[in-house]
Parts: sequence; C-alpha cells; structure tokens
Amino acid sequence: MRILCFLKAILDPEAPPGAIRFPGKVEIGDVATVLGPFEGNALELSVQLAEASGGSFVAVAMGDGSQDVALRKALALGAERAARIDAEPGFQDPLAAARRLQAAAQELGGADAYVFGRQAGDWDMGVTAGIFAGLMDLPFVPLAQHAEIAGQGLRLRREIAGGYEESLVRGPLVMSVTNGPSTLMRLPKVKDVMLANRRPIDVLRPADAPASVTLHEIAAAQVTREGRMLTGDAAAQAAQLASELRRFLVSAGGGN
Amino acid sequence: MRIAVLTRLQDLGEGPVLEAMGLMQSLGGEQESLVLAPSAQDLVAAAGEVRLGVHPGLDDPDPEAAYAAALRLIGAEPPRLLLLPEGPLFEMVGARIAGHFGMSAVRDVDEVQLAGDDVVLRKGAYGGKANVRLKARGGVVAALRAGAFPAAEIAPKPATAHELGTLPEAGQERRAVRDTSGDDLGRAKVIVSGGRGLGSREGYLGLRPFADMLGASLGASRAAVDEGWASPSQQVGITGRKVAPELYLAIGISGASQHLSGMSQSRIVIAVNRDEHAPIFEAADIGVVADWYQLWPHLRKALEG
Repeated sequence: MRILCFLKAILDPEAPPGAIRFPGKVEIGDVATVLGPFEGNALELSVQLAEASGGSFVAVAMGDGSQDVALRKALALGAERAARIDAEPGFQDPLAAARRLQAAAQELGGADAYVFGRQAGDWDMGVTAGIFAGLMDLPFVPLAQHAEIAGQGLRLRREIAGGYEESLVRGPLVMSVTNGPSTLMRLPKVKDVMLANRRPIDVLRPADAPASVTLHEIAAAQVTREGRMLTGDAAAQAAQLASELRRFLVSAGGGN
Repeated sequence: MRIAVLTRLQDLGEGPVLEAMGLMQSLGGEQESLVLAPSAQDLVAAAGEVRLGVHPGLDDPDPEAAYAAALRLIGAEPPRLLLLPEGPLFEMVGARIAGHFGMSAVRDVDEVQLAGDDVVLRKGAYGGKANVRLKARGGVVAALRAGAFPAAEIAPKPATAHELGTLPEAGQERRAVRDTSGDDLGRAKVIVSGGRGLGSREGYLGLRPFADMLGASLGASRAAVDEGWASPSQQVGITGRKVAPELYLAIGISGASQHLSGMSQSRIVIAVNRDEHAPIFEAADIGVVADWYQLWPHLRKALEG
C-alpha cells in the first residue's frame, strides 16, 4: 500500500494564554512551531498502515520552511520521502489548498490512501480532507480512529455520534484521522531523528490556485471569567464546594 | 442569492436544523430545503421550497451513500451558499460536496452576513483563542455552530419528492457500536469532565460516583481520550463535543485552549486542579486548587451529609 500523509506544523497549541496575540493579525512571539496534534494521529496511522502492508508512505506539507519540523518527524518515523509544497505562511483558502495538494499528489505518483489529520489546530478549518476527496472523486472516511489491512481492503473504525462504526473499504480512499488510543503518535528514536535531519526535503511548486475564501478580520476571543478561588484545607474547600453544588442543584431542580 | 439548507428527514424539528433554516430566512433571497429522506412525505416542516431526496437506505447511510444522495438531490447547479448544522451529515458530505462543485467550505460558523456579492462568515480559530471573519467570493458550504442562530418557527408544507435510484456503498460489513454509558453530553444540564491530572483510568472512572450524585454526564479532555480512559464520544473540546450545560465541572483538566473553546458556553464552570497556574482557572467561575484525591473524600461526606 502506498500512502500520502498530509501534515501541518502549527504554533504550539499548548502555548500559555496570551503567548500568541491577535491584534488584527497573528503575532507569534517566541511560540514554537510543532506538528499539529491531529496530524500526529494521521502520521501514526500512516506508519501503521505502511508497516502492516509492507508498503510505504510519503509525507507532504504546505507552507514555508517552518513546515519542515513536521516533515522531519515523518522522516524519523519512516517516511520514504518528504515533500513541501512551497507557499506563504498564513491563512489559506481550503479549496485553493486542496487544489494544490491534488496537483502535488499527481506529481508524487498518487496513492492508495490519502491520510489527513482531522483538523489543523491553527485555523481550525477541518474541511481540507473532504474538499480533496471531492476534487479527487474518491471515497471519504471522516474521523477514522483505527485502520487495519483486511485482505484487499481496509477495515476502518470511524467516530460517529455516541459511538463508532466499523466498515470494510476497498480501493483508493481519503480519510481524516482523529485522536484515540490507536492513533496516539509514537516517539521516534533519537538515532532516527538525527538521520532524518540529514535527509533532503523536496520542494514542489504546483501552480497557485485562486482563493475563493480570504481572511477578512482576526481578533482575540474572550474566554476568561472573573472567578473566585475556594480557600482553606481540603476539608474546608470541600465544604464550600458542596454548599455551592447544593445551591445549584436546588435552583436548577436537579441534574440531567 | 440562492441559499439552501441540506438536512436529513430525521433531523427536522431539531434545534440545529431549525437554526439553519432561521438563518436562511433571515438572509433572504431564493431559498430551498434539501432533505434526505428514507421515504416520501406529503408534508414537511422546512423553509423555502422543499425538495426530498428519497431512498430507503437514507435512515442510516454510510458516508458514500449519503454523499451520492446529496449530489443527486442538489443537481447540477449548487446554491451559492449551502448551510448544514455542524454534525454527522456535514462530517460525511459537507466538505466533499464543496470539492465536487469547486466551492470552498467553512465550519463552526457562528455569524453569517451578506456584503454585496460576498458572504462573510465568522468562526473560531487557534483552538478558540481567536475569532476570524472570512470573506467568500465564490460558492461556499457552511457548517453552523449549534446555538449560534435563532431557530425558525416552521409549519409543515407540501414537498416535492425525488426518487434517488440505486446508491453506492463504499463500506461493507458495516457495524455500528453505540456508547452505552448513557453520557449524552449534547443534552446534559450538568457535566463532570476528567483529564490527565487524574493520573489513571481508574482515577477517571472514579469520577462516576461523583457524577451520579449530581445527576451529571461524564465528559473527558482530549488527553483522557488519548489515554483510552474515556471514549471519543465523551471528549469535550473544539474537536470533540461542544457543550453548553448549566454546570460544568473540570477535574484534573489543565485547560488547553481547544478544551476551553468546547465548554466556554457553560453557564457555571467549576475547576479543580493541583496547579494554581492551570489555564482552566481563567475560564472558571469557581476554582479549587487541590488534589482531587484529597478533596473527594471530604466532598463525598459533605454531599452525603
């Protein structure tokens, strides 16, 4: 099985509040760029499928040199090749991005499985994999949690409302991968990281696609509350908390 | 401008679909409801011109069948703005329809405005740390955040039914497994969520008696799901379930921005964490800096007393 795994490096989503600022633009300060969490899940599933099928996977990212951190992680985990589609950093229309990914996929020789993360943690669009499937006219399996080789097909588990669904899919497909115990990214060995740092990253330049959606405005969101802390030792805190909970349950007429 | 809502028959009357139809009505223009239905109906409670795509398999289609059905119902000319509630149907077909028709797609939308020929859509970004407005110059498929738009009041009206013919199914040997925990986060008034700070699966499951005392559903952070302590359907966050209970208790959750964004619509938030600098306290109405395992015996006694 040949796999194309699409990755994206993003500003560290675990950066402390206020480290990334949004005064009408994105000010990144000294926040590190890391492989996106769901792209880590996609990478893990690609590694598993390549190993189980005796096949290979190629890692692809789009952006400037800051994307190389994602591609080098893939190389350290066994990617046959890493390719970066040259693009300016910042917001990208997902349709235009998917068109360039489609062109790159053709240039790279196509694949049996096109594997994406569920959602990149910068712009939180979560639509590129589906748009890519529509452009490629291929089956699309969203929110895959687990995949294994089953004869000539793939047995896939995907998240559905209130549970999961398993099915057997044959033929080339596109999938988006979500998190779960089966897709937790493994850590590369130090030796493989060092080797990966010496391997080349190909730069692809497929034709630009016109953007139909553009960034019009960005501003910081307000999620903070004026809270109060319960004080004292554990017994005192528990007594205060129990009082608050009782008051709530009485006013709300009980729980669910 | 031509605007349409795409939905499933079984979802009609649900809040998110009524909100999508309310938005469509408020935007004006040429309007239609495209409804995927397992059987023909004479009267359907939907806005605008109502067209039903009928196939018996549409009571529980796989993504391939749902996609083929949606394409046939839409026909050769897609609307300029196609609205779906955020949820399973959008997940299966929304972005793929966009790619098929050369449209773009935006999800988690909580505001839509028409500006001349453009559609301006607002959504969250950076794990909820920012809000962005995006300008769509071409066709766009938008998934709407639940609770962000006023619901329409709609009376049943006649619908035109279209038989869809044979639908493909990519997935074979399908088997759906539903979570039997009874934790319906979407409708919960009270949610107790646990995170990595609980240290183990046993620790996470130890929240169940507390949740039961409050009549609460049990949620989880992404970390708890990654560890295999909780099922993905229990994950609260921008990429899990977005919840809006009356009371949200976060136990051992540090408060990554993607988690905060998923529970920020809660009316009251209580957080318990050992780390006084944990970001969760920024988003809490009541904070308790404590080790849950030291707090819980006292809290249990106090609640039972």
